Amino acid sequence: MKISFKLNKSPQTVEVADGNTPLLWIIRDVLDLKGTKFGCGKAACGACTIHVNGEAVRSCSYAVKFAEGKEITTIEGLGSEANPHPVQQAWIEEVVPQCGYCQPGFMMAAAAMLEKIPQPTDEDIDNNIINICRCATYYRMRKAIYKAAELQKEAARKIP
Amino acid sequence: MGKKKVSRRKFLIRGTLGTVGVLAVGAYLFRHPIRRSILSFANSADLSYIGETDDPILWFEITKDNLVLLHSPKVEMGQGTFTGLAQIAADELDVNMEQIRVVHAQTASGNIDGFSTGGSTSISSLWQPLRELAATMREMIKIEAAKKMGVDVGSLSTSQGSVSSGGNSMTYAEIADGVTEWEVPDTPQLKELKSYQFIGKPVPRVDLKEKVFGAPIFGMDAGMPDMLYGTVVRPSSIGARLGEVDASAAENMPGVVKVIREEDFVGVVAQSYPEAEKAKEAIKVNWITEKNWQTEDIEAMIQVGQGEPQTIQKEGKAKRILESSDQLISAEYSSPLGAHAQLEPNGALAYVDGDKVTVHISTQVIGLTRKEVADRLDLDPEQVNIIPTYLGGGFGRRLHTPHAVQAALMSKAVGKPVKYYFSRKEEFQHDMFRPPTHHLLKAVLGDDGLIQALEHNFSSGDVGFGSPLLPGIAEPILGADVGAIRGGFNQYGAIPNHRAVCWRVRLPFATSWWRSLGLLANTFAVESFIDELALKAGKDPVEFRLAQIQDDERGHRLKEVIKAAAEKAGWTDQVVNGKAMGFAASTDANTPCAQVAEVSIEGNEIKVHKVTCAIDPGMAVNPDQIRAQCEGSIIMGLSASMFERMQVENGELRPVIYGPYAMALMKHAPKEIEVVILENADKPGAVGEPPLGPIGAAIANAVFRLTGERLRSMPLALDQA
Amino acid sequence: MRKYLASLTFLFVTILVLAMAYPIAESEYTPVPEEQEEAPLTDSEAFDQMMAVLTHKRCVNCHPSDNSPKQGEDSHPHRFGVLRGTDNHGMPAVRCNTCHQAENNSFSGVPGAPEWSLAPMSMQWEGLSRTEIAKSMLDRARNGNRSHEDIMHHLTEHELVLWAWEPGVDAEGRPREKPPVPKEAYITAVKAWFDSGAIIPEE
Repeated sequence: MKISFKLNKSPQTVEVADGNTPLLWIIRDVLDLKGTKFGCGKAACGACTIHVNGEAVRSCSYAVKFAEGKEITTIEGLGSEANPHPVQQAWIEEVVPQCGYCQPGFMMAAAAMLEKIPQPTDEDIDNNIINICRCATYYRMRKAIYKAAELQKEAARKIP
Repeated sequence: MGKKKVSRRKFLIRGTLGTVGVLAVGAYLFRHPIRRSILSFANSADLSYIGETDDPILWFEITKDNLVLLHSPKVEMGQGTFTGLAQIAADELDVNMEQIRVVHAQTASGNIDGFSTGGSTSISSLWQPLRELAATMREMIKIEAAKKMGVDVGSLSTSQGSVSSGGNSMTYAEIADGVTEWEVPDTPQLKELKSYQFIGKPVPRVDLKEKVFGAPIFGMDAGMPDMLYGTVVRPSSIGARLGEVDASAAENMPGVVKVIREEDFVGVVAQSYPEAEKAKEAIKVNWITEKNWQTEDIEAMIQVGQGEPQTIQKEGKAKRILESSDQLISAEYSSPLGAHAQLEPNGALAYVDGDKVTVHISTQVIGLTRKEVADRLDLDPEQVNIIPTYLGGGFGRRLHTPHAVQAALMSKAVGKPVKYYFSRKEEFQHDMFRPPTHHLLKAVLGDDGLIQALEHNFSSGDVGFGSPLLPGIAEPILGADVGAIRGGFNQYGAIPNHRAVCWRVRLPFATSWWRSLGLLANTFAVESFIDELALKAGKDPVEFRLAQIQDDERGHRLKEVIKAAAEKAGWTDQVVNGKAMGFAASTDANTPCAQVAEVSIEGNEIKVHKVTCAIDPGMAVNPDQIRAQCEGSIIMGLSASMFERMQVENGELRPVIYGPYAMALMKHAPKEIEVVILENADKPGAVGEPPLGPIGAAIANAVFRLTGERLRSMPLALDQA
Repeated sequence: MRKYLASLTFLFVTILVLAMAYPIAESEYTPVPEEQEEAPLTDSEAFDQMMAVLTHKRCVNCHPSDNSPKQGEDSHPHRFGVLRGTDNHGMPAVRCNTCHQAENNSFSGVPGAPEWSLAPMSMQWEGLSRTEIAKSMLDRARNGNRSHEDIMHHLTEHELVLWAWEPGVDAEGRPREKPPVPKEAYITAVKAWFDSGAIIPEE
């Protein structure tokens, strides 16, 4: 079956034999964007978190057929070196990553949260950021989320 | 401009097998000199780099746009080694941080680590050789510059990747261009420590951007044209052997290219990963199992008094004093089986192309991975190129890589590149686990309220002995498992009589290296017991510790971290506003570390609010990354101490997924972590593991102050009874 | 065609043999109308069958009495501290739909159905007895101001409710337990109970 969607703002059409194939594998192995990670394949670790129409979604548990007509964003589309998302900028400033493998999933979750809760509290962060980081960079991630909220606020102020 | 022909004059005096540090603690019972030196490594981690250190051209490459590539034989798994190595090399090379890139050395280049990336030794073992190599490289460039510029070498100076003479200057790239025969000088004098620009500074990680923008840098991200996807059928049961296999259904499933039958495994190669996984599920295997293991069986095996004992430390007459005392204080502790649970599953991308093999892999043992692939395919090691990638977590899990061999065999069978990785269930069931432990501590206090005699008996599954890194032949030489005994020693040298004995237990499944090895469990037991003794003696736990540390360099460094942690935390043994502090200290790999945990009880849960950590890695190459390693170690240690436990149920290791395998999440991480870095030695030491030591005991000791309940088994839970 | 005739002949012979083996005297044969074949469900039987389903974990796991959804055959609190949120669809960045889609996912073992979410707080069933659940269900103050008719339709037609009989596989590919009463029997029982006035028995 043919499925069409927008990936990081560019239209994509993929031909799949099984529409139930998790979107994760289509993104990684067919469309060759490797920033979205496979960690468990059971929607437990959050390493594969992407945005579907702006909502955080775990792509290992999301059948590709549901992507039809949707706006999909991955870490590669969140921001770029030239134009980083506030979350990415904050992640750099706070030197968050260690091994780095889980970080795209965390950044996608954090960006989705800041979209809904621009000024989160500790409790908001605890309740909304439930991915797993084995290097346990949680302490810096929390600092970076606060910094990203600040950067986002500043950026909003600059736009007239 | 790639590799240059180098004149074969060896110029680095340093051999490949370095001297091993002298012990400062206790007198050990080992007469065998190799045993003694290897055990001292276990205690001090003073291991020199084993590998090629006589050829700067293997290590450095200068690109046309004047970037220096440092080909690192150590892998980057999050510990920040690439950043530290870049700082070290940049300072002697006279380039700035933007002009140096660190990449993994492929085995084809010849720059092969002879041991592993592990044991918190990457920076310490390369500190001297890498500076010597970089300084030599810099001098080599100057020699060529002198020729090209027609001036005397002595008139040249180097800075920011350029060589200058009077008003003229040339970039390193311009100088290196066209040079085919390099002149190699004797190893030059290294710079004064204080003149270094980058060493000692909190330089940002060099891999930040790749990791923040989602670059394809991990083993699992590797790709090759015409690549297929493989998977290997694995049993759920402990010790299961491959019996009859019926793959007829799988062979006809969509996308399946081939089912591969080897003597020791069955694999499937398909067009995509989901197709390979689905086909694997359709393969019927009759697994042959000997015994239906249960958690109780394992617990019954891990008991002091069972297995093979080896005394690892003895001073004075501890045994006699303890046996004859009527004031004996004793307590038992235990720790559970733990999983690595690193986020990137194990796997490899292999391509067997005639008699050449290429393997892209996340590995901590580049040399061993190459050897195993070469041996199984009956090739010379030189025919196998291992291309190491960034690791999505190491923690010791990637010190064993039989999956590289399996990927190569699958590739050979289909004639195309095959990428293969573990499912998460396979990761949990086929881990090389952190072994469970049991500890029996005994002590007698003297009239002065200090410890007169102390004994630590502990039982552990294999750590080092479970690893192909240590061949079986090493076991009788070593006597005790170099991994299991980490942290098992007594660090309070002023205790007149003390003894430590490790009981080796052979478990029916693989246990091996897990970040910090025995340190996590041993420190939990010993430092909880020290807290018990301090309370029995009616002394402040911090003062109690300080009073029993010997007066030598090692003792001095331990005292200083204890004092620094207590001072920074505002140490008190009183409960204030429902919060109590717990104290613990450890010395691992010659790095002392002390931590104070600030804890409260909320409902039936232990809540850790703040951890203060003082650490002395000798010398700080990158204070920010030392902080990061402490923060991560504290939370990972908290996770292992408070949540994690593998069970054995009806012959299977379980659970098999995150969640049921409970781990610390964002909400469990302390909101405050303070790190104090002391530098009381003249060279950098271990950082990546030592801060995992104290946290478990620090939390348990705080809980005791709050509840009066002494938690003696991990994972820590209230009402253990 | 030949084959077809052969099977027809075979069928005919079979019927003949069967008829001879079971001779039934015409006088003894009384046709039974289908609807009277068995006694209709009594009110109490209907209630028993309905409640055997509604108290099952496939239902109660998403009618928790606190803010934590329950999971699995042992109804443990949802892993990772997942919470109800203000709209019963999860927290702002951890929606139910972050993991649960409109269908079960056999790759991940994550269950799914349209409108996957928790029942509102007023409809908490966890820890309640059968009669308490029934009372709660009929109470307009707690049931979202639904009539008996509405409730009956919800219980017998809503896809999220009927998901209980197609619960898919778990993370290890093992089928989830279905409610102890088959779907059709459950629907019959619910209708019968409402048709006869939705009487909650004393317990």
